[in-house]
Amino acid sequence: MVVGAMLAGAYAFFRRRASVLAGPSAADSEPHHIEFEPIREKLLTPTNKLLLILMAFGAISLLARFALGLGGSTHLSDTYAWGLWIVFDLVWIAVAAGAFATAGLIYVFQRKDLYSMGRSAVLMGLLSYSFVTVTLVADLGLPWHFYQLGLQAPEQSAMFEVSWCVGLYVTILLLEFLPVPLERWGLQRAMDIWRRWSGAYVALAATLFVYLLSRNVLYAAMAALVFSFLAFRARGREGEPIMLAIAAVTLSTMHQSSLGSLFLLMPDKLGPQWWSPVMPISFFLSSIAAGTALVVLIEMWIARAWKRQLRITQLSAMGKITFWSLLVYLVFRLADMLVRGQLSSAFSGGLGALFATEILLGGVLPLVLLARENLRTRPSALFIAELMVTMGIIFNRVNVVLLAMRLKGPMPQFTPETYSPTIFEWGISIGLIAATIFLFGLGARLMPLLPAERPQQGD
Amino acid sequence: MTQPTSTTPIKATLVDITKCIGCRACQVACKQWNDRDGEETQLDFNLGFQNPATLSAKTLTLITFHELPDEKAPGGLHYLFTMRRCLHCLEPACASACPTTALDRRSDGPVIYDANKCIGCRYCIWACPWGVPTAEWDSLAPKIQKCTHCADRTEQPPPMARNGQALTDEESKQYRENIVTPACVKACPADCLSFGTRDEILQKARNRISDHPDKYVDHIYGEKEAGGTSVLYLSSVPFEKLGFPEAVSGAFQTGAACRTTGCHGGGCYARGRLRIL
Repeated sequence: MVVGAMLAGAYAFFRRRASVLAGPSAADSEPHHIEFEPIREKLLTPTNKLLLILMAFGAISLLARFALGLGGSTHLSDTYAWGLWIVFDLVWIAVAAGAFATAGLIYVFQRKDLYSMGRSAVLMGLLSYSFVTVTLVADLGLPWHFYQLGLQAPEQSAMFEVSWCVGLYVTILLLEFLPVPLERWGLQRAMDIWRRWSGAYVALAATLFVYLLSRNVLYAAMAALVFSFLAFRARGREGEPIMLAIAAVTLSTMHQSSLGSLFLLMPDKLGPQWWSPVMPISFFLSSIAAGTALVVLIEMWIARAWKRQLRITQLSAMGKITFWSLLVYLVFRLADMLVRGQLSSAFSGGLGALFATEILLGGVLPLVLLARENLRTRPSALFIAELMVTMGIIFNRVNVVLLAMRLKGPMPQFTPETYSPTIFEWGISIGLIAATIFLFGLGARLMPLLPAERPQQGD
Repeated sequence: MTQPTSTTPIKATLVDITKCIGCRACQVACKQWNDRDGEETQLDFNLGFQNPATLSAKTLTLITFHELPDEKAPGGLHYLFTMRRCLHCLEPACASACPTTALDRRSDGPVIYDANKCIGCRYCIWACPWGVPTAEWDSLAPKIQKCTHCADRTEQPPPMARNGQALTDEESKQYRENIVTPACVKACPADCLSFGTRDEILQKARNRISDHPDKYVDHIYGEKEAGGTSVLYLSSVPFEKLGFPEAVSGAFQTGAACRTTGCHGGGCYARGRLRIL
C-alpha cells in the first residue's frame, strides 16, 4: 500500500513534469502572477469576540477534562467508548482534506489557476489538523504513553497508521505553510534553509513512515531512494514545493482511507448501508469532495465577511472538481452496495431514512446543481451545492460513528447505555473550532494569506 | 500478534453450561485473583439474581442468569447460568486494533494487556465482537481491563520441596499444572469448567456431545466463531437463546475475506498484516 501510494506520487510527479515539458513557455514565462497581502481589518469584531468567548469555554473544558478524568467530564461509557470527539475528528479530517487536494491540484496537476486559494487552504488544513491532535490528546485515556507509538510496531493496526500519518502530515502542513510567515517577516536565512532542506525532510519522513509500517529495512531503503531521487530532481524548481505536495497527497491518501479502515472491525455493529469491505476507499473519495467543497465555502465566506471580490471563475473550477470527486464517490459506493446485494434493502427502516437523506440531500441533489456550468458560476447555487456536499459528508461521518452504530454494550450485551455528550465534550470541540476560525482570521490580518485586491476582477 | 503454531499448544477452558449451578464461585475467585473492587449491588428485574448486569473494569468474569420457558421444567421455567468473560480469540480483533500492542495474544493462547504500553484510545472496546474490554472510567489514568486467562499465574515458580523432601518429577509436574490452572477453573465446584490444551478440550467437548446427544445441542461455541477462541462452550439450548451473538463468525469472515481477496489498495487490512509491504 505504501509502495502503491509512492508510485502514485511518483507517477503524478512525472505527469507534472511532462506537462511542464510540453509547454515550457506557459509554465516558466508566466509564473503565478498573483500577489498576496495581509488584509486590513479591525481584529476585535463582534464575531471575533464571540469566538474568543467560545475559546475560553474550550480552555475551561480542556482543564476540566484533565482535572475530572474521562469518566467525570464525559458521558462516555463501555457502550459508547467513542463519542462526540471522535465524530469531530473524523468530520474535521474529512473536510480538512481541502489542504492536500488544493496543494495537489496546484503543484502536482499544475492547476495554477487555483493558486490564489492555496495559502488559505493550507493554513486551514494546518489549524484543523493541529486541533484534531489536541482533541485526540483530550480523548486518549493515557496520552502520556504516546511515545509507545514509536516503540511498538503493530503494522496491522489502522489506529497505528492513522496516528503516524496524521502526526507526520501536521509537520508537512507546517512546512507547506512556513514560506508565508518567512516571507512576511523577511527571514531570508530561514527561507534558504527551508528551500534547501524541505525536500530532504520529505524523504526522511517518507522513509521513517515506510519503516514504521513495515519494519523492513529493504522497503525503507527503497522509499529513501525513490524520495531522495524525487527530492534531488525537484531541487531546481524554487518556489514550487512539489516534494511537500507529493508528501501531502501520499500521507493524506493513507490516513483518509485508514480512518475508514478503523470501522472494518465492526461489521456486527455498523449498519449495512455504511459497513463495507471497501469503506477505506469510500472515506478517501468522499474526503476529496468534502475538502474541495469546504475550500469553496471558506472562500465565499471570506469574500462576504471581509467584503472582497468573489473569484467566481476559480470557485466554479473548484466546484467542478467537487462535482467529479462526488460523482466518483457516489458511483463507487452505490456500485459496491449493488455488487454485495445491499442496495435493494438499503432504503428501508430507520437506518434507511438516514441513508436516503445522506445520499439524496448530500449527494444526488448537489450533483445536479454542480453539473451545469451556468448554475456552478452562480454564487448562490454554488454556495448551496457545496454546503450540501459538506453537510452530506459530515452526516456520513456522524452516521458511521454514532447514528448507524448498533452498539450492544459490554458483555453480555443485553443492556447498552445511552449517550449524550456533556457540556465539556461540546466545550472542547466547539472551542477548538472557534480557535481555528479566529486564528485563521488573525493569520489573514498578519500575513500575506489572501490575494491582493485589484480594481477589476482578474484570475 | 503471535500466530498459533503447532509447537505451542493453545491453553483452553471448556464451559459446560449444562453443569453450571450458578454459585458464582468463579466470579468471586476471579475478583480475588485480579484484586478487583466490589460492585454496588443493583438488581434488575429482567436479569433475576444476576449481579452485576455487565462486565466492567471491576468485574472480569460474570455469571449471567437465564430463565427459559420450558413446559417440562418445574414452574415452567428452565434456569440456565453461563459464565461470561473474554473468549481469548485465536485471531483477536482487539489486538489487531491496538496501535501499541498493549493488547497482544501470547503464543500459548491468552490475550493479555500491558498497561504500560496502552495510550487509552479505547479502539479495542469497539473492535471486540463480544464487548469484553472495559475501561476504568472513574480513574484519572483509565486503564483497560479484561480477563487474561490467568496468564500471570504461569509466572509463579512451583515449589521445589515439600516438608524438606525434594519433589519427584511427577509431583512437581502436578504442582505446576495446578498452579497454571486459572482461578475460575480451580474454584468451580460443579465440574462445569475444565482446563487443558485446545485440542484436548475440543475432543472432550465432542465426546460429551456424542455420549449425550439428547443433552447437548450439536454446537461447540468458539470452535469456529471469530476464527476460533480458546474459551469454548457447550449448551443444552441453542446459543442465541443465551444471548451469544451468532453473526460473529459470518460477519467477521467478511472482514477477513477482504484481506485475502486483495483490496489492500484502499487500506483494507484491519484484520491482517500489510502483506504488500
